[in-house]
Amino acid sequence: MLKLRGMAALAAASSLFVAASAGASWEPTKPVEIVVAAGAGGASDQMARMMQLAVQKNKLMKQPIVVSLKGGASGGEALMYMKSSAGDPNKVLIAYSLIYMLPLSAKIPFDWRELTPVSVVALDEFVLWTNAQLPYKTVKEFTDAAKGANPPFKMGGTGSKREDHVLTVFLEKKTGAKFVYLPFKSGGEAATQLVGNHTQSNVNNPSENLEVWRAGQVRPLCVFDKDRIQYKGKVTDTQSWNDIPTCKEQGVDVQYLMLRAMFLPGKVTPEQTAFYVELFRKVTQTPEYKDYMEKQALKPIFLTGKDMLKFLEEDDALNKGLMTEAGFVAN
Amino acid sequence: MEALELLFFGFKVLLTWKILALMMVGLVLGIFVGVLPGLGGPNGVAILLPLTFTMDPTSAIVMLSCIYWGALFGGAITSILFNIPGEAWSVATTFDGYPMAQQGRAAEALTAAFTSSFIGSLVAVLLITFLAPGIASFALRFGSPEFFAVYLLTFCSFVGLGREEKHKTVISMSLGLLLAGVGMDTVSSQLRMTFGWAELYRGINFLVAVIGLFGISEILVTMEERLALRGHAASISLRVVLGVWKDLPRYWVTLLRSSAIGCWLGITPGGAIAASFMGYNLAKRFSKDPESFGKGRIEGVFAPETAAHASGTSALLPMLALGIPGSGTAAILLGGLMVWGLNPGPLLFVDHKDFAWGLIASMYLGNVVGLVMVLSTVPLFASVLRVPFAAIAPMIVVSCAIGAFAIQNAMFDIWLMLLFGVVGYVFKKIGIPLAPFTLALVLGNRAEDAFRLSMIGSGGDLRVFWSNGLVGTITTLALVLLFWPLLARLLGIGRRRDR
Amino acid sequence: MERSQDEADAGSPVASNRSVEIAVYACLLGLAALLGFDNWHTGIGWDPTGPRPGYFPFYLSVILGAASLFGLARELIARTQASDTFVTRQQLARVAQVFFPTLAFCLVTQWLGLYVASFLLVAGFMYFVGRIAAWKCLLTAFLFSAAMFVTFEIAFDVLMPKGPLEALFGR
Repeated sequence: MLKLRGMAALAAASSLFVAASAGASWEPTKPVEIVVAAGAGGASDQMARMMQLAVQKNKLMKQPIVVSLKGGASGGEALMYMKSSAGDPNKVLIAYSLIYMLPLSAKIPFDWRELTPVSVVALDEFVLWTNAQLPYKTVKEFTDAAKGANPPFKMGGTGSKREDHVLTVFLEKKTGAKFVYLPFKSGGEAATQLVGNHTQSNVNNPSENLEVWRAGQVRPLCVFDKDRIQYKGKVTDTQSWNDIPTCKEQGVDVQYLMLRAMFLPGKVTPEQTAFYVELFRKVTQTPEYKDYMEKQALKPIFLTGKDMLKFLEEDDALNKGLMTEAGFVAN
Repeated sequence: MEALELLFFGFKVLLTWKILALMMVGLVLGIFVGVLPGLGGPNGVAILLPLTFTMDPTSAIVMLSCIYWGALFGGAITSILFNIPGEAWSVATTFDGYPMAQQGRAAEALTAAFTSSFIGSLVAVLLITFLAPGIASFALRFGSPEFFAVYLLTFCSFVGLGREEKHKTVISMSLGLLLAGVGMDTVSSQLRMTFGWAELYRGINFLVAVIGLFGISEILVTMEERLALRGHAASISLRVVLGVWKDLPRYWVTLLRSSAIGCWLGITPGGAIAASFMGYNLAKRFSKDPESFGKGRIEGVFAPETAAHASGTSALLPMLALGIPGSGTAAILLGGLMVWGLNPGPLLFVDHKDFAWGLIASMYLGNVVGLVMVLSTVPLFASVLRVPFAAIAPMIVVSCAIGAFAIQNAMFDIWLMLLFGVVGYVFKKIGIPLAPFTLALVLGNRAEDAFRLSMIGSGGDLRVFWSNGLVGTITTLALVLLFWPLLARLLGIGRRRDR
Repeated sequence: MERSQDEADAGSPVASNRSVEIAVYACLLGLAALLGFDNWHTGIGWDPTGPRPGYFPFYLSVILGAASLFGLARELIARTQASDTFVTRQQLARVAQVFFPTLAFCLVTQWLGLYVASFLLVAGFMYFVGRIAAWKCLLTAFLFSAAMFVTFEIAFDVLMPKGPLEALFGR
């Protein structure tokens, strides 16, 4: 482990040297602000802190990184802030699916095309969870019970008309079960409410339910992806992430992955973008990043340039389709 | 007695010179960021988080938690001296703390604030030490209806207390509730009352409003009355400290009540913010002389500070035991723990015994060391009041602006602060009370969300607020408090006063 | 000098409490109408799943409007009652002495950054209002602004609005 870390640092140092010797490159002269479109302690915040740590420990940049939380208006604050910072190369946004959804549901005048895409750094999974005290072991048992339930089953999630809500609607469409969707402020709150038996299920990201799963308080039913999660290390006494079946395997074909991507404001120079592409490429090679991916059961990925644009356009179209079908687009 | 053994084990981990030195550094930094406006609490801890990246987990968390204690202590200082609360929970401290400072009793008020903070945290730490697992699961019993009942209780403990004309109280509270609703409505994901203006999307931040309403407007009032900030004849000595301590036993009911409220609301996720208000309101309600509150009564400092710190400390309990942060600062600490590969949750006390008990032990030590340190700084801070008004006033204005800006990095907030400064000045002069306004601004949104989530969950059935023993008790208690004056008369309790 | 100011304070009221209250109630009434209208647009109904987003704010604006109207009516009817002075000319002058510098400070912050504005405010206020010796004012203002700069920009990485002067130093 130590050796690996040393090598990573060495690699980082040598690539820095190469970059510096190239001469033409740009480098930030002010502290770099990582803009988080969510509240303190949420998944984006944790990711920003991980990057802060990785950059500082591996000395990837001379200027310090400052995390600035802009979770107001369900993250809309961060989007407007980035939009209004055009030309400022010292602000980087950690974006997730809200860049597609918020403009649709809340009519916020924002389009991610006005920003400069840097790189996609991870994909987040969604899992259907239920309280461990409830008897349901498979998706079918669960949805069958939900169909006849009175009062109806409650589904917890983060925010309204967002990824969790969309997933709930599609789960309803595919299975015919009906849920009462409760929009909480954070995934943490959704997890607590599930453990406290105030809701019967939620569709949290793995990281949001990790600890209560380890403690045996919740049970994963299926993961909303075409393949199982790759990590095979035991998380609980008996199960690893890989042991959770996909929803498709269980006969419910609902899939959704959420991007985690870095954006600069609009109107920055190609040199400035290139610096950040390189910076985040190095971040994804640090042990801190790898550790974090495994612990949070994130899908590692690194897309940039044309690949990223293609990905974003496809993802945007997909999300727009889902939102329209779910009836969440404001008119 | 296993807890005691583990605690001693924790102390053994901590009692090295290196750790003690780190505690001191952490406390000094914490007090410092607590005093700087806009940095106290979550922001301050977040800013200092990177400092700990290069330390081992135990040192790092000791340092972080000492920054937390320091920030908690420091928050009271600006509230009392300049009427600028740095945190939601220090607002109630200004109600009596600032009048005391104006009467030249700043040292007394500061001592009272620090001492009661210490007592509040101590009670909470004891609770954490001995009851951690059982109490933590209590937090799980709180769903949306229970949250709403708690907020309702806080509001009801407030209504009908003031001496102000009723319609002015109504104006103040409804205006606060309205402004709290500006921006994104999380339950429906719709914008409201923004008029398409992007600056309003993020809503009106409570702290920005409070900095204007209290800090800026106070400067205007002070100037109008041609008062200097009077700190004269504040003999700061061990005598003042001992004097306050000697009086402590007389207020044991208040201290106990506030500690209990604080602990209870602290472990209720999201409830910590209401604790200081409720502590203050109940002290006033059950006082023999409620009229004297707000005019510099020492009990008015004891009550909110004890509650605030009991809740601030016990807010760490659900974070450690369940992985749910009970307050903004606890959320940042949670992030810090994750950086260290420690996952707070039900298994933390099993997987990382040394760490968990080291942290608990550091709460005891940090508190004691912190109390000594802040008390020794009282003369320093009280002496700030001797600086000429013409020099201190512009500095306060600048500090307020920094604070308002730092909260959300928005220039718009500086203008908003100025606007609220004028509003506060005018309201103060025509007798519209500011306290209901701030309370409404803090809790309005949460109360509305909790209510609507309860309605969604129950399918629009109001009986959900009496659906189990816990929520039923709190709701009923709230209604009893609301109609207390009426009930008291009916039951003949108030007869003595009528005569 | 003290005495003469006191005497002046006693006289020449600029506004009475009553007239200010009437103005405030009128403003609040206007605000209530505006917000009420906006919320009515947002939706004030009660869905099967509970109130819509405009429901609470709408009724709150109604309550605010009603309370303001009540206050307004009371002040207008209570014609005979003598009203307290809201502010005298002298008082208003002193409030202006601190309000306008603060307003100017906010404006300057927008263009020149917070630190320059803070230097100007502290120095100017001390000199013109406090009548303190110029060198003391300049020194205090400089030390204060510098201390703030070091604390926020350098030690804690909290970024404040900055202008051309800071840009000269590469900040």
